[in-house]
Amino acid sequence: MMLRAILTLWLAWQALSPEALKHFEAATEAERLKQYDVAVAEYHKVTELEPAFVQGFVSLGQAYVEQQNYDAAVAPLKHALKLDPNLGSAHQLLGYTLLAQGYYEEAISHLERVDDPGALGVAQLETGKLPEAIANLQTALARQPANADLMYYLSRASGLFSKELVDTLMAQYPDSPRAHQAMGENYYVLRQMPQAEKDYREALKLQPNLPEVHMELGEVYASSGQWDKAEAEFRAQTKLQPGNAEAAYRLGNALLQQGKAKDALPELRRADKLLPDMPETLYSVGKAAAVEGDTAAAEKSWTRLLEIEKGTPLAAQAHFGLAGMYRKQGKTAEAEREMKEFEKLQGGGAAQP
Amino acid sequence: MFEVKLPRGLDFTLQNSPTPQKYLIETMPGGVALLDYNNDGLLDIFFVNGGRIASPLPRPDNFDRHDPKYWNRLYRQNKDGSFTDVTQAAGLANAGDGNYGQGVAVGDYDNDGYPDLYVTSYGKNILYHNNGDGTFTDVTAKAGVAAGGWSVSAGFFDYDNDGKLDLFVTRYMEWDTAHSKDCGGAFHTYCPPGEFPRTTNVLYHNRGDGTFEDVSVKSGIAGKKGHGLGVAFADYDGDGFTDVYVANDGMQQYLWHNNGNGTFTEVGLEAGSGLSLDGGPLSGMGVVFQDYDNDGRPDVIVTTLPRQTYGVFHNEGKGAFNDGGLQTGIAMMSGVTSGWGAGLEDFDNDGWKDLFVTQGHVLDNVEKIDPSLHYLEPTLLALNRNGRFERADVGTDVLVAGRGAAFGDLNNDGWMDVVTSVIGEHPQVFMNRGGSAHWLTITLRGTRSNRDGLGARVQVNGQLRFATTAGSYESANDKRLHFGLGEAKTANVEIVWPSGIHQSLKEVRADQFLEVREPEQP
Repeated sequence: MMLRAILTLWLAWQALSPEALKHFEAATEAERLKQYDVAVAEYHKVTELEPAFVQGFVSLGQAYVEQQNYDAAVAPLKHALKLDPNLGSAHQLLGYTLLAQGYYEEAISHLERVDDPGALGVAQLETGKLPEAIANLQTALARQPANADLMYYLSRASGLFSKELVDTLMAQYPDSPRAHQAMGENYYVLRQMPQAEKDYREALKLQPNLPEVHMELGEVYASSGQWDKAEAEFRAQTKLQPGNAEAAYRLGNALLQQGKAKDALPELRRADKLLPDMPETLYSVGKAAAVEGDTAAAEKSWTRLLEIEKGTPLAAQAHFGLAGMYRKQGKTAEAEREMKEFEKLQGGGAAQP
Repeated sequence: MFEVKLPRGLDFTLQNSPTPQKYLIETMPGGVALLDYNNDGLLDIFFVNGGRIASPLPRPDNFDRHDPKYWNRLYRQNKDGSFTDVTQAAGLANAGDGNYGQGVAVGDYDNDGYPDLYVTSYGKNILYHNNGDGTFTDVTAKAGVAAGGWSVSAGFFDYDNDGKLDLFVTRYMEWDTAHSKDCGGAFHTYCPPGEFPRTTNVLYHNRGDGTFEDVSVKSGIAGKKGHGLGVAFADYDGDGFTDVYVANDGMQQYLWHNNGNGTFTEVGLEAGSGLSLDGGPLSGMGVVFQDYDNDGRPDVIVTTLPRQTYGVFHNEGKGAFNDGGLQTGIAMMSGVTSGWGAGLEDFDNDGWKDLFVTQGHVLDNVEKIDPSLHYLEPTLLALNRNGRFERADVGTDVLVAGRGAAFGDLNNDGWMDVVTSVIGEHPQVFMNRGGSAHWLTITLRGTRSNRDGLGARVQVNGQLRFATTAGSYESANDKRLHFGLGEAKTANVEIVWPSGIHQSLKEVRADQFLEVREPEQP
C-alpha cells in the first residue's frame, strides 16, 4: 500500500497542474488522517480539473470504498477503466466494490484480471462455481494460513460442493450403492439409526465389498449399543482392508465392549502397529490389557500414552486407569500419585465434590 | 420368566402432572414399597404419587393433593392374589398435601413388629407410624424427620448397631419452583442437575423414644454435597458397621464408609467406586449393593443415563472396588438406556443373583433432541451365569417410562416378583412363573439387634445377602431374604447379626420360609 501511495504521488507530480496537484496532496493527507469526506471532496476536484488523470478516479473510488460507500465508488472506478481498460488497481477495487454489493458475476469479471484468489474464490462460491471457488480459496489460504475468513469460506464451499455432488448422485443414480451409502451417512448424522442401517444394508446388498460401508454400518450398531453386530461389520471391514488401522481399532473396541478383552487385544495391538502411537489406540490397549489382567502391558501402554499426551482428557483417563490398577496391586503410593494427576487434570470438573 | 399383569384391584396410576414449564420434579417420581403392613403373611403394596402441578405454578407453589387421584396409595393383598385399596381406612388419604411425592422407605423404627413408612417429597417428608391395627399415624413432627428441600430416596438402617433403626435420606439439589429452568432451547426439556447447586443428604439417628436427631453434620454426611438420588446399604469391608452408597446424578458417586464411631468418611474415589472405568462422572439414579458373584463381598451396581454404561463396581476386598462393567456384560447392555429402579435377585433360583432394571429416559421429548434415544424403553432382565450377565426375556415388550422398582415374593411361592412404577401409567407387576429349582426365604427376627435384623450378613450355601429393605430407586423391598438353591435340597446358613452375634444353621430344608431368631446370648 505504501509503495502504491508513493507511486501514485509520483505520477501526480508528473502529470498534474499545480492546482490539481494541491488538491491531490490535500486528498492524500486527508486519507492518511482518515478524513474520508475531505478526501472525497478533494479527489472530486482533481477529477474535475484533470479528467484524463486516471489515478484521480481510482483514488476517488478508493476513498469511497474507505467510507464503505460502495455505490458511489462504482462510477469513478468504471470511468478509470474506460480511460485504461487494463488498470489492475481499478479492476481490483471495482471487484471488491461489486462483491461487497452482492454483484458477484460482475465482480468475477474484474477479479479474474488481478491476483486475488481469495476475493475471486468468494465471488465464485456465491455464484455456485464451487470447484473453481475451492481451488482459489485453497490458494489464498496457502498464502494466509491464519485467515479465519478464508477458512470459513473454504469450508463452506467444500460443504456445498459435497452436498451438490451427493444431490447429483441421488438424482442421477438413486439406486446405486453409493447413493444408498450417502443416504446412510445423512441418516447417521441425523441420528436416525434405523433408516441409516436400512440404506447401508441396501448398499452392501448391491455391492458387498463397497469400501467403508461396513465401517459406517458398524458405527450405526455401536452407537445403538448393538456391539455384536458392530463387531461383525468391523470384522468384515478388516477383512476387506487388513491395512486399515481404524478398522482394527474399532473391531478391538467392539470386542472390548462385549467383555472379550482377550480377543480385543490382538486387534488393538494390530491397530497400533499399523498406525503407531495413536493415543486412542494406546488407551484402549491399556484398558483391554487391564481387563485381561495383564497389568504390565496395561502399564506400558498407558505410560507410553502419557509420554505422548499430557493434559488432555485421554491423559486423565490413563492416569485414572493407572491409579485403579496400582490400587488393585496394593501399590498405594503409586495409586495416590496417579489419582492426584487425574484430579489435577479434571480440575474442578465433574469428579470434584 | 415373568407373567406381566395387573392384579385385580391394583388400579393405581402415577400422576406426575407434566407441564410445558418442565419443572424437574415431574420426571422423578415415584417410589414403590413391598411390605406386609398387617402381618397377615402377604405382601402389600404402597405407591408414592407425584401430585398436581398447576401450569404455571402459582407463587407460592401449591401441590394440592385433595383430589384422590393424587393420593399415595396402599393396597392390601387378599388371599386370592387380588388387591384392595385401603388408603383411606389406613389413614393415608390426602397424604402429603402441599408436597410433591417422590419415594418411600420401610422399616420398623420402634421395633413394635409392624413396618413403618417414610415418604419422601419435594417439600416435607412424612413418617407414618404403623399402629398395628391397619392404620397409620403421621408422627413426623414428633419424630423430627421432615428434612425439607427435595428428598428422593431414603432407607432405614442401624449405623451404630444400637438395635434401633436410623434413617438416611438423599436429597437431589438446591431447587425450588421459583428458580426452575427450562433447558433445551426450542424443544423445552428438563434441565440436567449441573444447572442447579448441589445439596446435602440427611442422616437421622434414632433416639429410641420415637424421636430422631439430625446428625448429618456431626456424622460428616453433610460435609459433602451432591446430587443424591438412590441409596443402598451394605458392610462392604466387613468391619461390622453398615456403609452407605449414594447414587449421585451427573457426578462422582459417594461411598460413605462407616467409621464405627458415629462418623462417616466419603471414600468413593479412593475405593474405586466413584467414577466410570474411564474416569468419567456417572448419572447415578438407582443403586444396588449386593454380592453378584458370590465371592462373599457386596458389590455395587448403579443405573445411569444413555451414552454411559451402568456402573458396576466389583468389590475386590480390602476396601477396594474395580470396574466390572465389561467383564459382567452389563456395560454392553446399558449403553443406550436409562436405568432407574434396580435389583439383584435370584429370579431363576439357580444360586446366582440376576439383574432387573426398570428403564425410561428422563426427558419426555428426548426423541426431538436425539432420534436414536427414546423416552419409553424396555425393561431389562439379565440372568447371571457364574458372574456374567445375559439378557433374557422379561415377559413383556411394552415400552415404559419406568421409575421405582420393588422386589419381593408376592405370592409366597419361593420365586421373586417385581413391582415397578411407570410415569403416567399403571404399575407393572412381574409375577415369576417359577420352575423346579429349590429356594430358601429367611425372615430375621432380631432380639439384641433391630427387630428385622436389617444390617445382618446372611450367607446361604456360600451366597451372601445383606439384610436391607433399601436400594433400587425411591423404593423399598420385601424385608425377607431370598436365596435360590439350584439343585440343593438343603442349605447351610451363616448369619452375622448387627449385634455381632454369629449364628449357624446346618442342613436346613429347602423350599421353605424360615424365621430365624437372633440368639439372646453370643
